[in-house]
Amino acid sequence: MKWGMVLDTRRCVGCQTCTIACKQEQGLPAGTQWRFVADCEVGEYPNVRRLFLPMQCMHCAEAPCVPVCPTGASQQRDDGIVHIVYESCIGCGFCAVACPYHARHLVEEARGYFDVPTPAERATAPPGRHGVMTKCTFCKERVDAGRAQGLTPGVDPDATPMCSVACIAGAILFGDLEDPKSQVAQIVAEGRAVPLMPELGLRPSAYYVLE
Amino acid sequence: MGGTVQPTIEKVPTYCYQCVAGPDLLKVIVRDGVAVGVEPNADVAAEHPACGKVCVRAYGLVQKVYNPARIKTPLVRTNPRKARGEDPGWTPVSWDAALDLLAGKLRALRATGLVDSAGYPRLAVTFGSGGIAPAYLGTFAALLAAWGPVDQGIGSGQGVKCYHSEHLYGEFWHRAFTVAADVPRCNFVLSFGYNGDASGGVTGVWRHAEARARGLRWVQCEPHLSVTGACATEWVPIRPKTDTAVLLALLHAVLLEHDWRAVCDVPFLENMTSSPYLVGPAGWYLRDPGTGKPLVWDPARGYAVPFDDPACRRPALDGEYIAAGVEIGADGARRSVSERVRPAFQLLLEHVRPYTPEWAAEIADVPAATIRALADDYLREATVGATIEIDGATYPHRPVAVLLGKSVTNGWGGYESCWARTTLTALVGALEVPGGILGTTVRLNRPAQNRLDSVRPGPDGFMEQPLNPTGKDTWKGAPHIRNAYRTLVPLAADSPWSAALGPAHLPWLFLENPPEHWPAPTLPDVWIIYRTNPAISNWETGRIERALERFPFVAAFAYTQDETNWYADLLLPEATDLESLQLYRVGGTKYIEQYWQHAGWALRQPVLASPCDTRDLTDVATDLAARVGILDEYLAAVNRGAGTTVSLTGEGWDHAIPPGTRPTAAEIWDRVCRAATASLTGGRDVRDLEWFRRNGAYFVPFDMRNYFLHGAMVARGLRYELPYQERVTRMGEELGARLHERGITWWDVQLDEYQALPKWKDFPGIWRGTAAAHGRESAEFPFWLLTSRSMQYSWGSNVSLPILADVARNVKGHFGLMLNRGAAERLGIAEGDLVEIESPTGRTRGRAILREGVRPDVVVALQQFGHWATPFARELGMPSLNEVASMDLALTDATGSGADLVPVAVRRLDAGHAR
Repeated sequence: MKWGMVLDTRRCVGCQTCTIACKQEQGLPAGTQWRFVADCEVGEYPNVRRLFLPMQCMHCAEAPCVPVCPTGASQQRDDGIVHIVYESCIGCGFCAVACPYHARHLVEEARGYFDVPTPAERATAPPGRHGVMTKCTFCKERVDAGRAQGLTPGVDPDATPMCSVACIAGAILFGDLEDPKSQVAQIVAEGRAVPLMPELGLRPSAYYVLE
Repeated sequence: MGGTVQPTIEKVPTYCYQCVAGPDLLKVIVRDGVAVGVEPNADVAAEHPACGKVCVRAYGLVQKVYNPARIKTPLVRTNPRKARGEDPGWTPVSWDAALDLLAGKLRALRATGLVDSAGYPRLAVTFGSGGIAPAYLGTFAALLAAWGPVDQGIGSGQGVKCYHSEHLYGEFWHRAFTVAADVPRCNFVLSFGYNGDASGGVTGVWRHAEARARGLRWVQCEPHLSVTGACATEWVPIRPKTDTAVLLALLHAVLLEHDWRAVCDVPFLENMTSSPYLVGPAGWYLRDPGTGKPLVWDPARGYAVPFDDPACRRPALDGEYIAAGVEIGADGARRSVSERVRPAFQLLLEHVRPYTPEWAAEIADVPAATIRALADDYLREATVGATIEIDGATYPHRPVAVLLGKSVTNGWGGYESCWARTTLTALVGALEVPGGILGTTVRLNRPAQNRLDSVRPGPDGFMEQPLNPTGKDTWKGAPHIRNAYRTLVPLAADSPWSAALGPAHLPWLFLENPPEHWPAPTLPDVWIIYRTNPAISNWETGRIERALERFPFVAAFAYTQDETNWYADLLLPEATDLESLQLYRVGGTKYIEQYWQHAGWALRQPVLASPCDTRDLTDVATDLAARVGILDEYLAAVNRGAGTTVSLTGEGWDHAIPPGTRPTAAEIWDRVCRAATASLTGGRDVRDLEWFRRNGAYFVPFDMRNYFLHGAMVARGLRYELPYQERVTRMGEELGARLHERGITWWDVQLDEYQALPKWKDFPGIWRGTAAAHGRESAEFPFWLLTSRSMQYSWGSNVSLPILADVARNVKGHFGLMLNRGAAERLGIAEGDLVEIESPTGRTRGRAILREGVRPDVVVALQQFGHWATPFARELGMPSLNEVASMDLALTDATGSGADLVPVAVRRLDAGHAR
């Protein structure tokens, strides 16, 4: 089993619903985004294209962020999810430097949006996420809890990463890349999606449908 | 972890209506009484057209509840001086004291008289965010219905911020208050600035995304590459306000550079439009002298016959004929005719002859070859003659659509653009059929829930339209509200929505510049405002503020301090989105790109106890009705469905509220829930409030065929009133006569809009003319300042929420001024520099955002900002077009609208820091 994502740039409208849903689901502090949609322009006027590119941790099979971690806080599960054990993280930033996708975010101080945390912020901010590196976890808690209930990640919302659940364009698909029946595996097998910067040889688990 | 108490988690169904494309259904996650998140409502995935999803704005609702900058309790002004530099001196008061203050003012009005000496209502109420307020108003509309005359026409940006000409002409031509492509069955969209991927809500985004994935081709003509342009197949960077020229050239290319008999839907033109109607030398239809019916030429018999003569199989569309009949002009003036006449279609052919692609290329900066290629593609994709089955019915299938966006569909040129678009559509029969363009709602006609049922036979084989009369004895020459829509805008009709669809800026304009031969402009004694901020959202905001200083008493329902309620006398913190109760209609033929295959009702309900001293608007309305002494009238209005759109009594059910009682909001909405479900099922299935609290929404199936007006038009034997605009011309001439009889000439320029076949005018030049009007040279202002929608902010009333800004920063344009990179370099402007924008009437500033996807003669300021009082938003440093736009009668078209474009100069103020 290897969890992966297909991001369809033909569908994405850059609305940032995934961005804000991720922030909500993960209780991220002000200014921290584990994922976002980049608003890119290619070309020069008048021959220019504007493109929305969802960016996040690629959960690389050869994740360069894991071996550089001096404390072993950066880890990869058997199902491919790369995550950080906050108790072991010292916030040194080696992993952030190693990540070519800029997908790691140091939370020096978990600040809310206002001078005093709101009740919602107090209720959702995970303890211990200060002075540590943070990143997209493919919502592993949702995935694990959903599977424990017999749900199928990528099919059942309660077992699927929140960005995919929230996406209003059907642009974010999630599933088991090793399950030939999953939508993501089929799209990848048919060659309709490619990883970003494949030349780095990191074998990302996030694939992009381009034009 | 032993002994850990598991939190109590609830997921509460409710709805979000923070944009005109709502409502969207969601669930709020409540943990131990604290709202912690929002998620799509997967329970309604099968019914909701976008699988129960909600957009980025809905995820801000939790922060909206807990925002520490909220108004937390009613506040009363203590400083009598109203000015931007004067602190209002707010003092907290109890709700009892606050409502007593407002009710006292209202009782005084009833004692004095509901209408002032000028004939205007003493009470005025303004709701913002077109079409959204009713989803949050509770029963407040019933209070207004019980009150009597209320001026709801003091605008907050209506007309200039909407699709105004599309609203009025669209509903006139094809019951299309708004127009959308039938995207699921469309293969080619030609869009002039339509920005549905930012403004079309989750259902619009979902439909467009599905279509793109299957290969829909979308060509976006607009001066800057918007969100929708980014998703398009191709961008055509057109010069601002020249869309009409390209549309006219497309008509030219289709009709005169192709064999129109081969490429157009000739049977549609013959049978479903006014194309064959003969037009006399004076420009009026040639009519049968006895019946008054328009005549068509029957080539088979060689003479003219009434348009509905069943023996005429193929009326002539082109040519010139000698025929006899009468022309009936304005005010019924009859003229006998026996001479050369031509079918309306022939006049169309002649009308578009000068509008060659080369002509349009000069005006619009769009190559003639591009225009020709677009015409070719349009005709090829139209598949004239093809059919499609929808739920067992056979329709023409015309998978091409032409869409228009804001600033194209409003202000000068709006009529001409809308006419050219709709005519272009009619040429291939793509009007109101699968794959083509469809109206998405009606606002002037009834019933509102089903467009097809609003199709009623009118004059000359066309649909009936509730136009404001312009006859000598029927014209409403005395304005009954300050924007005078019944007097000045026949197309605005007289529905509950009409006040918002008139020239809503005229009240502000006339306060400083009273027109001749017109009732003296007066201020309302009491102005109540809700979910609106005209000191930000209207054009020329400085003028709004000057007027606000003089308003004698303003009661503002207020979420935070803002730029308009800074001038209020009383702030009332109503229960907001997640704190209040209302049942609202969903589905049916409602609003932009919803296309539910269900109709029903959804509940918005309190998901938690408000952290502030707020009141539900329904309770406020009931309380005010009691204090003012109109409780029974208010309850009667609730009982007949004022505001709720469902009568509490019907055949087989009676949930009416007895007079003399004082029900709570929950008691009222429980009755509405029962009546609403009964109304959908003939009384067979009745669900109460508790059922809705648990389930969120109730649906019945809604036939997909209800979305295509074609079926109703064919069934009733009616024609679309296209291409020739005899009725429009008549109403314009009659309106002119009425105004001139009163000595009014200040509306003469607007009268020029009423044309049978709309012509190109120098529309950009109208805006450039503002420089001379203000003593400046037009050459001083070589750039166009435009706006564009931000999905994160449009209609959301959410600018005070920092989490929205946090994510909106990822989308270009937040928070600065977008300029073309090359143009900026020529001006010495670098990314992040502070830039000043100057118009003939004002200045605004913001940080430069350099882009390639902006024309070199254009700068873009997203949305409506420029806040100076609203918490958090005042720190964004966002420029505002409204600060530099001139509110001017010369910039007001005949429908009463303007457009968001301003000729400006651009200069660097200082070197900034790239952000």
